[in-house]
Amino acid sequence: MNVLKVSRWTIAAFVLPCLLLYVGLVFAPILVSFYNATLNWNGIGVAKHVGLDNFQRMFTHDSVFWPSVRRTFMLAGFSMLVQLPIALFVAILISRYVRKPNFLVSSYFMPVILSVAVIGQLWKTIYNPASQGGMINQILIKLGLGDWTHAWLSEPKVAIYAIIVIGLWQYLGYHILIQFTGIQNIPADIYEAAKIDGAEGLTADRYITLPMIVPIFKISVVLSFIGSLQSFDLIMVTTAGGPAHATDVLASHMYNISILSQKYGYGSAIACFLVVVCLVATVIINFLFNRLDRRYN
Amino acid sequence: MNPSASIAVREPTVSARRRGFSLKKTIVFGFFGILLVTQLYPLLWLLIYSLKTNEEILSGSFFAMPASVQWTNYSNALAGGRYWHYLLNSVIVTSATMVCVILLASLAAFAITRFRWKYGQLVMLIFLMGMMIPLQSTLLPLMLIFKNIHILNTRWAMILPYIAFQIPIAVFIMSGFLRTIPHEIEESAIMDGANVFRIFRSIILPVSVPPIMTVCILTFINVWNEYILAATFISKEALKTLPFGVYSFVSQYSVNYGAIGAFLVLGALPVILVYFLLAEKITKGMVAGAVKG
Amino acid sequence: MITTGKKVAGTAMAGFLAVSLAACGSSKDNNNGSDAAASPSASASTSASASASASAPASSDSGSKEKVTITFQNIYPDPTDPKYNMLRKIVKQYETDHPNVHIELDSLNTDQQKQKLKTQAASNEVPDITIVNPSAQMKPYVDAGLFAPLNEMVEQNGLKDTFQSGILDYYTFDGNLYALPDGNNIALMYYNKALFKQAGIDAPPTTFEDLVADVKKLKDKGIQPMTIGEKDTWTGSFLFMNMLLRTNGGPGFLQDIVDGKKTFEDPAFKGAVDSFETLVQAGAFQEGATSFDYNAGENLFKTGKAAMYFMGSWATGGIEVSDANKDGNVGVFKFPTIGGKGDPNEFMLAPGSAFAVSKNSKHLPETLDFLNYFMLNYPKEAFAAKGAVGVAQKVDGDFKAAGYSDMAMEVLAMFKDVKGGDISFDNTMNPATSQAHLSSIQNLFVAKKDAAAVAKEHQQAYEDNKE
Repeated sequence: MNVLKVSRWTIAAFVLPCLLLYVGLVFAPILVSFYNATLNWNGIGVAKHVGLDNFQRMFTHDSVFWPSVRRTFMLAGFSMLVQLPIALFVAILISRYVRKPNFLVSSYFMPVILSVAVIGQLWKTIYNPASQGGMINQILIKLGLGDWTHAWLSEPKVAIYAIIVIGLWQYLGYHILIQFTGIQNIPADIYEAAKIDGAEGLTADRYITLPMIVPIFKISVVLSFIGSLQSFDLIMVTTAGGPAHATDVLASHMYNISILSQKYGYGSAIACFLVVVCLVATVIINFLFNRLDRRYN
Repeated sequence: MNPSASIAVREPTVSARRRGFSLKKTIVFGFFGILLVTQLYPLLWLLIYSLKTNEEILSGSFFAMPASVQWTNYSNALAGGRYWHYLLNSVIVTSATMVCVILLASLAAFAITRFRWKYGQLVMLIFLMGMMIPLQSTLLPLMLIFKNIHILNTRWAMILPYIAFQIPIAVFIMSGFLRTIPHEIEESAIMDGANVFRIFRSIILPVSVPPIMTVCILTFINVWNEYILAATFISKEALKTLPFGVYSFVSQYSVNYGAIGAFLVLGALPVILVYFLLAEKITKGMVAGAVKG
Repeated sequence: MITTGKKVAGTAMAGFLAVSLAACGSSKDNNNGSDAAASPSASASTSASASASASAPASSDSGSKEKVTITFQNIYPDPTDPKYNMLRKIVKQYETDHPNVHIELDSLNTDQQKQKLKTQAASNEVPDITIVNPSAQMKPYVDAGLFAPLNEMVEQNGLKDTFQSGILDYYTFDGNLYALPDGNNIALMYYNKALFKQAGIDAPPTTFEDLVADVKKLKDKGIQPMTIGEKDTWTGSFLFMNMLLRTNGGPGFLQDIVDGKKTFEDPAFKGAVDSFETLVQAGAFQEGATSFDYNAGENLFKTGKAAMYFMGSWATGGIEVSDANKDGNVGVFKFPTIGGKGDPNEFMLAPGSAFAVSKNSKHLPETLDFLNYFMLNYPKEAFAAKGAVGVAQKVDGDFKAAGYSDMAMEVLAMFKDVKGGDISFDNTMNPATSQAHLSSIQNLFVAKKDAAAVAKEHQQAYEDNKE
């Protein structure tokens, strides 16, 4: 239960500047977007009101839409179910075994700092077809697994998975950092007390680390989910959503529609969908974690 | 009122007892090593890349070294790329954003997590919703707003939206950490007669150094490399930031990859520096003082 | 508690105000300080009114003319590109001749400039001078009344006559000219003579059937026949349209569609699709072509790894100085006929990006005057900088003497043979239809599809997106 009882002025002083700036510059444009979604507009000239037509079209007539939704969720799913547990695992290992964790944690964070342009170029040399000297394919051939070579970024069935791998790799350090900081926040005496009771190592982790890291883990889950949904740069740099929409996700589809096809109204409808999905997911995640929190505390 | 005891950071449990060879340890460190290589190789790769010619880059296989070191890439980046000028602007914009974000977000997070207040959760939800908003969809409305309050083509047209977009994540992270601080801290402080602001300044802030540093780093990275928003609202050469320099080497039918590589290396250096500096502070901050109940 | 709260709120507000004033001041100083080349000027673009009034008294110019800043948005950001220096040379000269004018250059890469212009257009903030692509791509802006007509300006100083005949039509709507192009290019096949010889090919193909046969010969020798940067979907479309130009027996297919005389299910279109697929299935293009962007694709040719490269003549500059062209190893030939149809002297035309002037420019007369000056000097400077192949204006001068390469001379000779042609799909059709087309063609690189199905796809997209 929150303890501090304060006057409304104090609350305002603490919250308002932040809230107002944010609502004005982030929220208001989204509301404008919601309005734009009801228009047939190329962004430059005159707009025409079409009510919910854009939404109807999006759900029923757009052959790119649902596959891109599927891919977006796939990206999010892999992030949450593969990347995060690995990050947590690594964070626990580091806190357990490494005396000067700084260097390691900082180094793992490197890919996050690099711009997507660099990462895209790098992974292209990794994924290039065998005839262009791509690293993976060359290794496969040397191992005698020539049949398994692919043009990783050009084959429609494989490309999205190739991109997912890049995403998982890039942000691993990001989540390791967050989880690690969370683990470090757990007071050491709890572990001492547990040791006295005979529990240490993995057992200690199960009963102490995991429950106590729940709020921090939640941060990672939400960030990773939202990050996946907004994932755009990486797709654009590697495949631009191609070939023929095989790697399009919601954000890139929205970009193509709004900017390239100049259907700004329709693109806004997609943006609305994105926002709503994020909202629903965040509420669900919040709810689940609160349940988890209450169980352990 | 002062923290009565400081907690030690969780010390590695594999202590001096286990000297010498240990299979578990070798495996673990081997794993760390492999991970290290995969995470750090890109930097090395970028360095090599920045010293190649365009042809070498584009035909690049994974391990190829340049035939001859192209230092001209760096001279192109520094001179034509106007590195120092853009660097200064980036520093100004990024630090202003960082300071404001930390201030505003910690105030708000503190209020949401510690005040007894009806609307706390609602406000939190409003902030959360903002995290999902893709930048591109706000460009047009923001342009209209900025045009009407006459800040187009000024530093504010960059700083204000950067702050606004970083706030949700910052509030989120700060609240997450603040929630883990036991309430007893405040109780004892209130009994000693301190008011809210005192509590915030003298107790909560020092304890929050780790999340603050995390927010610092995240903000820094997001703002330092940001290009689309800046390019849309800024047209004056005098205000342009580092990413402009990177993209300036992209022409209509050709791209000077070598110069871009050099520019990226030069642009990444400050980030890496700042990151390592702050990372020090994170671990130091943790040792210096969380409060025990 | 209450009073403290109010006090703090008040202090916070005051603090915020102080910070904003300070920042206002610092940006003011930066306006005047870091922009060393320019004297303090009343800027044409919006800025806080405080700084505007403060800088006026600071101006030291004793002239009676009002200080003018013109924003020149352009797509030559690369300092290592000769066009960059050309631009700045002309600008500097103009500023010296007209000391009251300052040209503020906003140089961006192509994609970002397109996006930015769109955003600026939507909020009526179009810069004084900007860049647009011809015909269908600039039409939305013209329809929204954003550009100033250039009819009068182009008559001054005989500017109109410097342009090649007919080129200005691509920038004219309803009798009004709205933009002046920086280039005019045609599509050619570049080829690597040594690789041809290796595969036993004596002369460049003149028919499509020969082309496919040559592709097979090259492949048999382990040589990459052609290269393309299909991550940038316009490259595949460009090639396809050239085939359509042949199978249609002449230009104007898309225009016939727009006029309702034909549909995409016309045999000419299907014939082009079939030919395109034949080429792809024969293995002409490199593996993974759809993840090669324009530069990567061109690079394969420039490093001598591919034998043929279909591209616009703007690529000449880069190819001239590449490894592949050592000892004049690269030649050009015209796109062949298909099934005996089409005239090789009809080319894919690529009128260049063009400079347009904002109708709401705060300094319209000065801007028009500057642009006139700029375009007059453009061909001269381009010639001197060896970039005159592909300029939209007539260039006088002895190219050979000026040091232009043999390959450049060959390309220039091709220009003389031009009897007509088509412009690209995305310069003819509206953006949404174009996107569908680009995607459809890109798909042909990864999957074989029935020509009738492709035609239907196009027709459907065209009808869905008709305005």
